[in-house]
Amino acid sequence: MMTTRTARRRAAGLGYYGTAGALAILFLLPLAWSGWASVRTPHGFGLASYRNMIHYGDGIGTYLRNSLEVTAMTVAGTLAVSLLGGYAFGRFRFPGKNLLFLATLAILMVPYPTILIPLYVLLGWLGLQNSLAGLAAVLVMFQLPFATFLMRNSFEAVPQELEDSAAVDGCGTFTALTRVMIHVVRPAVVTVGLFAFLAAWNEFFAALILLNSSDKFTLPLAVVDMEGRTFGSIDYPTLQAGVVFMAIPCLFLFLLLQRSYVRGFMSGALRG
Amino acid sequence: MQTTTAAPVARAPGDAAGAGRRRKRAGGRSRRRALAGLGYAAPTAAVVGLLFLVPLVLVVWMSLHHWPLLGNPTFNAPKNYTDVAHNTLVATAAWFTVKYTVVTTVVLFTISFGLALMVQHPRPGVGLLRTAFFLPAAVGFATASLLFLGFLSSAIGPVNPVLEHLGLINAPVDWITGSPGGALASTVTLVTWRFAGFNMLILLTGLQAIPVELYEAARMDGCSRWQTLRRITIPLLRPTIALVLIVMTTGSLLAFDQFYILTKGGPDDSTTSVVMVIVREAFVRFDLGSSAALSVLVLLVLLVLNVVQLSFLRRREEK
Amino acid sequence: MRTTNRTRMRRLRTALGAVVAALSLALAAACSSGGSAQAGGGPTSGVTITMWTRAGTQSQTQALIDAYNASHSNHVVLTVYPNEQYPAKIASAAGAHALPDIFTSDVVFAPNYVSQGLWADVTDQFDALPFKNDVVPSFIKAGTSNGRLYAVPHALDLSVLYYNKALYRQAGLDPSKPPTTLAQYAAQARTVAKLGGQIHGSYEGGNCGGCVEFTVWPSIWADGGQVMNSGGTQSYIDSPQAQAVFQIYRGMFADGTMAPGAKQEDGTTWLGALQSGDIGIAPGPFSWYPLLLQKGLDMGVAPIPGVNGGSSTFIGGDVAGISSTSSHEAAAWDFLSWTLGDQAQVNVIAKDHEVIARTDLAQNQYALADPNVVTVNGLLAKGQTPYALNFNATYNDPQSPWTTTLRGALFGPDLTQALSSGQTAITASLQQQ
Repeated sequence: MMTTRTARRRAAGLGYYGTAGALAILFLLPLAWSGWASVRTPHGFGLASYRNMIHYGDGIGTYLRNSLEVTAMTVAGTLAVSLLGGYAFGRFRFPGKNLLFLATLAILMVPYPTILIPLYVLLGWLGLQNSLAGLAAVLVMFQLPFATFLMRNSFEAVPQELEDSAAVDGCGTFTALTRVMIHVVRPAVVTVGLFAFLAAWNEFFAALILLNSSDKFTLPLAVVDMEGRTFGSIDYPTLQAGVVFMAIPCLFLFLLLQRSYVRGFMSGALRG
Repeated sequence: MQTTTAAPVARAPGDAAGAGRRRKRAGGRSRRRALAGLGYAAPTAAVVGLLFLVPLVLVVWMSLHHWPLLGNPTFNAPKNYTDVAHNTLVATAAWFTVKYTVVTTVVLFTISFGLALMVQHPRPGVGLLRTAFFLPAAVGFATASLLFLGFLSSAIGPVNPVLEHLGLINAPVDWITGSPGGALASTVTLVTWRFAGFNMLILLTGLQAIPVELYEAARMDGCSRWQTLRRITIPLLRPTIALVLIVMTTGSLLAFDQFYILTKGGPDDSTTSVVMVIVREAFVRFDLGSSAALSVLVLLVLLVLNVVQLSFLRRREEK
Repeated sequence: MRTTNRTRMRRLRTALGAVVAALSLALAAACSSGGSAQAGGGPTSGVTITMWTRAGTQSQTQALIDAYNASHSNHVVLTVYPNEQYPAKIASAAGAHALPDIFTSDVVFAPNYVSQGLWADVTDQFDALPFKNDVVPSFIKAGTSNGRLYAVPHALDLSVLYYNKALYRQAGLDPSKPPTTLAQYAAQARTVAKLGGQIHGSYEGGNCGGCVEFTVWPSIWADGGQVMNSGGTQSYIDSPQAQAVFQIYRGMFADGTMAPGAKQEDGTTWLGALQSGDIGIAPGPFSWYPLLLQKGLDMGVAPIPGVNGGSSTFIGGDVAGISSTSSHEAAAWDFLSWTLGDQAQVNVIAKDHEVIARTDLAQNQYALADPNVVTVNGLLAKGQTPYALNFNATYNDPQSPWTTTLRGALFGPDLTQALSSGQTAITASLQQQ
């Protein structure tokens, strides 16, 4: 009796781990294949594809620098705006508060192209056409709903006593933010920063519309162009080298900050 | 449109002035705090106003004009809207986008939900499984599209050799551009791979909010696995499911990257999505007005759809 | 700094003008006078000139630039974009005022860019050239609007038939007798296809509007047909000539004479297929001739025939112009005028087996040394360069009505139906404002 139940449980466990393991391999396979394909050469293995990628177009350095600039500006901008905004929404009462909060969340409801076609025109008027700063500003806007929401929730969760004690110490609201509050909401800061990084580093559509000359291209634009690098055939291995080059920082950061990422989901995205 | 969208930006300073007038009545502290709050919210207001609300008004304004990429716009309403009716590519794209949305939502939801159930309960190794399923989501979507451009290609992709080896196909198949069905399947595979883990995580957070006692009680009552799923898991998970479905349908209706990079809208326009047409109107036909009109229509469709989905959800909740 | 402020001001004014267009005639006039490039052009030496081109004609452009940079104090820097994305990139960069000093364009898109004012007027500079009357006329027409010239020929490219002499011998065909009718082309392709294995009879860009117009229209022209009216506003694709030509191509696709990849070929791997040496006979751009020679292939070159004999060619390729927003106009013209001079035309372009843009230099030493080049130079007189304002949106874009039409004509159930509904759709797109 006991033995058959144990046997059945063991069989079920085997079935579970067999299926789950096979699925896990299936999900990891494309990533592994890409890495493998990027080091394949006609005669075995080597880094020829990476050499091709590095020398593509204006040189990968240009695109990497552009990507880093856009990403840094987006992360810094998102953090600054959403930290102050979250503080305002979470701890203050002021006229127009709900309306502004709703307007911020409404960004989620509006399709990308609906906003990018006029932004292409608007940034031109502002002299920000074909500029990394313009793209970063737009990406900050796209990050705001999630970032503001998460920050507001974090600030709301800070106990009132903590803020009061800061006030007793004679801190102004800004000093209270920089000395006390920011430590409490640090997990949200990490999460917002991570999301902003991933979004900016990987952004394709907005960059495609808003950046117009190859010296301003970010990595995704440049690597997509690599498809036509050699005229007459598609250079797949070099393409995969580009894929690996773009994916590595994301995978690394994700594995490093997985906890913050998941926490971001738990505390932010879902209460809405 | 214009009044509601302009309101928050215009109101902020106005209300500050209003608060100033109330100075004598109200205590200094709450007024000071309101001012401070306004100050902290000002960057948000600036970004939302300038980069979101102004463009929103501008897109409507543009849609009423013949707005060439270069040169001066001229008023031509409602031509941009009436022209949409004659644009056969729009009809093809709209139909495909709906079809794609249905297929993707069904496939992606089924797999995401299956994965979430699979990693719902803690057991050894489950963390590794979650990470494995989620890892593709850390890769950018454009990056993932490029990855699949190679992965599914007959030139270097492993799919054809494996299937040939298994005897499932006789000759290499051109999955991405060979046939409309193949192109659709390629993009759905890509999207499922990239987003299943992401949606699994959302569903998982919902699942973990369900009290364990309920499952134990069900097991005591001798409920089968299927009964537990139908009677406990799904009803309690409904809000999360609704959220996931809204995100999935919205994302699919606005799909662009995967078609632009992977199928290029082909073969024979069979995978041309609505957003691709919007981009084509602007940068191939140089007609920003027409592009804006299509954008406005897409916005309206999405608003209606979201309102319907949300009200449906609310009604269910009230029951 | 001042210039950016000025352009910003101008743009702001343009925007305002749009809002109150009816009231601001004077303002509008001010805008238009500010828009034309009368700047005169800056220094002529020691300047870095930025230039864009597409991958398709990159090698020729790069050869010209290398020769120019080596002998001049100006420095031209080239950026290359993939063919398919190039027109959209030009358009979005133009809208964002981010164009380089010089950009090239497929000659068939040039009328659109000219009408959009993307290039500066070079009429006076061009008229001062001693050889101005010897520059290939159909390209000058494409770059001209209202009697003013905005772009000059940059890289000529003619469509021809390539046939692999080695495969011809193997299949028992006479390599000195290329086809003189379209039916012979198909018959010879079928003979080569019988070799089997990796070998296929022919190849075509079956999912590529640009490829098919470039290689199939000449057969229609050779039979006396036309694909459009001369103003580019009315399609004539529903003609008996087009019907007969497509019928033959249809047959080659249907019976597998065309290589398997040809049906979905969107142009990206077209050259690769010809370079493989596995194709018996196929049309293609003559600019690939050096690239095929590099692979050690013994390629014969023949004119593209019509159904009833005769021959023609699509005189394609690129024109180049100076952006109307460039501040290096004089230096940019120094480069462009140099590319048209004897030295560049003969010692760079002709030396590389490419077609030159000057009719007076046709008998140069390099052309005379290669019978294939002589064949192609002879074609220049018979060929056409079609003209239409909405060329890209109508013909070359993957979502264009022409792509739908040709796919229907080659693979659809009903050829006649595909051409007649195609003519309606193409005409509508040509006339779209």
